[in-house]
Amino acid sequence: MTTKMAINAKDIFRNQHRLIRFIAQSIRLCSNQSLKAAQAAQQQQQQKSAADFQITASVDAQYTSAPEPVKHDKDLGHQFRASQLSVRLAAPEQLQPKPDNDGELGFGRLFTDHMLKIYYHKSLGGWQRPEITPLENLVMHPAAKVLHYAVELFEGMKAYRGVDGKIRIFRPDMNMNRMNLAAQRSGLPTFEGKEFVQCLSRLISIDSEWVPHTDTASLYIRPTLIGIDPTLGVASSDSALLYTILSPVGSYFKTGSSGAVSLLADPSYVRAWPGGVGNRKMGSNYAPTINVQKEAAARGLQQVLWLYGEDHQLTEVGTMNIFMFYVNDQGEQVLVTPPLSGLILPGITRDSILRMTRQWGKFKVSEATITMPMVCELLNQGRLLELFGAGTACVVSPVNRINYLGQDLYIPTMEQEKPVHELIRESLTDIQYGRVDHPWSVVID
Amino acid sequence: MSRLLRRNSSQLRLLLSSGGQVTRLASSSSSSSSSGEVEPPTSTAQQEIRKPKRQTPPLVPDSEIKKSVFISQSSDVFTNLALEDWLYKNFDFSHHHVLLLWANDPCVVIGRHQNPFTEANVSRLVERGITLARRNSGGGAVYHDLGNLNCTFFSPRERYDRKYNLNIVTRALFREWAIKAEINDRDDIVVMDKKISGTAAKLGHPNSYHHCTILASANKLHLGESLVKEPANYISRATASVPSPIRNLVDVNRTVSVPQLRSAVGYEYLRTAATSLEDGGNTQTMKQRGFQLINPTEKWFPGIEELRSNYSSWDWVIGKTPKFTVQKDLDVKGDDQDMKLKLSVEVEAGLMKEIGIQLPQSDQLVPVVTPLQGKPYNEENLNGIVGALKLVSASNVKQAINGSA
Repeated sequence: MTTKMAINAKDIFRNQHRLIRFIAQSIRLCSNQSLKAAQAAQQQQQQKSAADFQITASVDAQYTSAPEPVKHDKDLGHQFRASQLSVRLAAPEQLQPKPDNDGELGFGRLFTDHMLKIYYHKSLGGWQRPEITPLENLVMHPAAKVLHYAVELFEGMKAYRGVDGKIRIFRPDMNMNRMNLAAQRSGLPTFEGKEFVQCLSRLISIDSEWVPHTDTASLYIRPTLIGIDPTLGVASSDSALLYTILSPVGSYFKTGSSGAVSLLADPSYVRAWPGGVGNRKMGSNYAPTINVQKEAAARGLQQVLWLYGEDHQLTEVGTMNIFMFYVNDQGEQVLVTPPLSGLILPGITRDSILRMTRQWGKFKVSEATITMPMVCELLNQGRLLELFGAGTACVVSPVNRINYLGQDLYIPTMEQEKPVHELIRESLTDIQYGRVDHPWSVVID
Repeated sequence: MSRLLRRNSSQLRLLLSSGGQVTRLASSSSSSSSSGEVEPPTSTAQQEIRKPKRQTPPLVPDSEIKKSVFISQSSDVFTNLALEDWLYKNFDFSHHHVLLLWANDPCVVIGRHQNPFTEANVSRLVERGITLARRNSGGGAVYHDLGNLNCTFFSPRERYDRKYNLNIVTRALFREWAIKAEINDRDDIVVMDKKISGTAAKLGHPNSYHHCTILASANKLHLGESLVKEPANYISRATASVPSPIRNLVDVNRTVSVPQLRSAVGYEYLRTAATSLEDGGNTQTMKQRGFQLINPTEKWFPGIEELRSNYSSWDWVIGKTPKFTVQKDLDVKGDDQDMKLKLSVEVEAGLMKEIGIQLPQSDQLVPVVTPLQGKPYNEENLNGIVGALKLVSASNVKQAINGSA
């Protein structure tokens, strides 16, 4: 075999996974015998080639732990049940027309026709009956706590239309747990996550035509819990409203041509601090970030990289968790993300990536503090491979530039041959869109 | 990346249960009927592959079926026909029955096996900007405009029930406006002996649909003028329309309007149980999925653009016309006498295949050679032939005929 042939063969071997994936992607899930054979052959191929990863339906017990059940307050009152759900459907005149193309969609500009509302009144015994109504304005007293002290928390989840036409949501139990923990911290009532997910499923099935029939679109679900007690005292809310609205989404970020984002890293801005609520998804964490985002945009950068402490630790990117893929002193490849020290929001995408990559076992996965000096050092030595954010809105968002202390650092995330972030994105979307059967993806219909 | 229409879960179910080699399901549903007739035999291409026995899936109980009313945002007849086709081919209706409500800009829609030239004056339609379309189901020709509401009832094959659907409409008319409507043997809805609705259907596997029109406030003048055939003698075996006197609902009750009709028929559909004509009132409505606006574009329904371009193509609208013959009388002036000849044109797939002249006394057909042969049949081309023939004098014609005899 000549050298040229050897080089070509090496190229083919190195990229065969891409070829296989491309072919698999361009065949839709038809239960044709030849397709089944092709998929079986593809799986065999993947098993043979040492460079490839496998997704198995079983999640290793060592790395799985169901979220702890929430402990409700003694005097909370009674819980709501999905069986009590009452529905008021929107009349044809109240329906919103669907837009023609993605460009008009943006993120969170357009909402669907219905919403879910569940009131809590301690004086009425606790949680009231859930109801689904046409999307309408909320009416509240001007002294409502949410308007004065930001007694508010929210969640972000997505519903995906799978390749078989069925709609799925991704690990909803994790969002419910996170929501309840935040409620406890804000003096808001806690609730039964399972019942809420069932109510959500009914809402999504009513508005299911807002999810396009393609396999690249999704419906963003925004459950929100607010304190509506009409008194100015800084105390727990005796009345609250748990509601959900849905929004069809195109792409979240306006990125550069390559799809990667540029970041502003300014240590004078701090998003979260020890003893605070950086680890809870509360609205009060986000209001102060708006002006900083504006400044980043003014400097021609797309997102903000939040730093903390004297050593300029990297905590989060915009509203996402951050991951770094590099080569360590022992020459091993490592995927690292900051640990849940109280400053970091425990993202569900973050958790999924950690579990999945640990199961793959192809490279070291660790939760450790990352600092800017460390990033600069690795960059200088050419050992920094990839830097990306991870969140529900866009799954993974690669970073190609950081503006730090007046200097531009160029990260070679997009220049990698087999980028880990692409592999992660594909694996997660395969699960979310039902291309791979997985307990994480729950069918609702 | 090629976009194959995705298989819905009920089609997957059927494929898996039948095992063996089955080709594309979507194209195998070739039957179309206008009055609930039995499915025609399968095409020869499929007979080559051993067709596996179709197993009917178990009936889904009434309590598990949820209903939606889809309202199309488009008023283009080709887009709406494509949407209807897309839903028929791709949607899983086993637990989800759908009523699609749509209205079109002025157009004439003919049935699958009809001859547009016998049903409407095609050239005049073009002049007036009235679109001509051919639908996928059988039946006769109808005129649509925004005062006419189309209802398509989708369900799995085993749940097809035409009487149920028509009763939904009559009940809605009574509940909203106290209009008494009846269903006749041809499955038309009549009010005071005049027709306000026509019906057609397509029964396939695993899905089926039944669609009907409701005349609320259509422009009757345009309707009458459009459904008049071109002045010529047609010999054709295509399905002929049965003309009936029609009436607008607005003639019976002035307050009827298409938006209100949409609402009334939609709510009636939602409040009635899925498998029997039982009214469940508000409690039944609450359990359903309700109304949804539908935007039939490629972004929401991948593959619909292809369907639309098929419906709007010449090959479909005109080219699918069954073979027919047109005869037109010709007066050819001669030196001593006028000869009355008959021009006979045989049209196949919309193109003029054989053009000939029939002599007055004999049955003989003399072929005419003209560059217009093989061209599409339309008024302009036909007049071209007539004009060319008229220039020929009678004596020449006699000579030519006698010479060749």
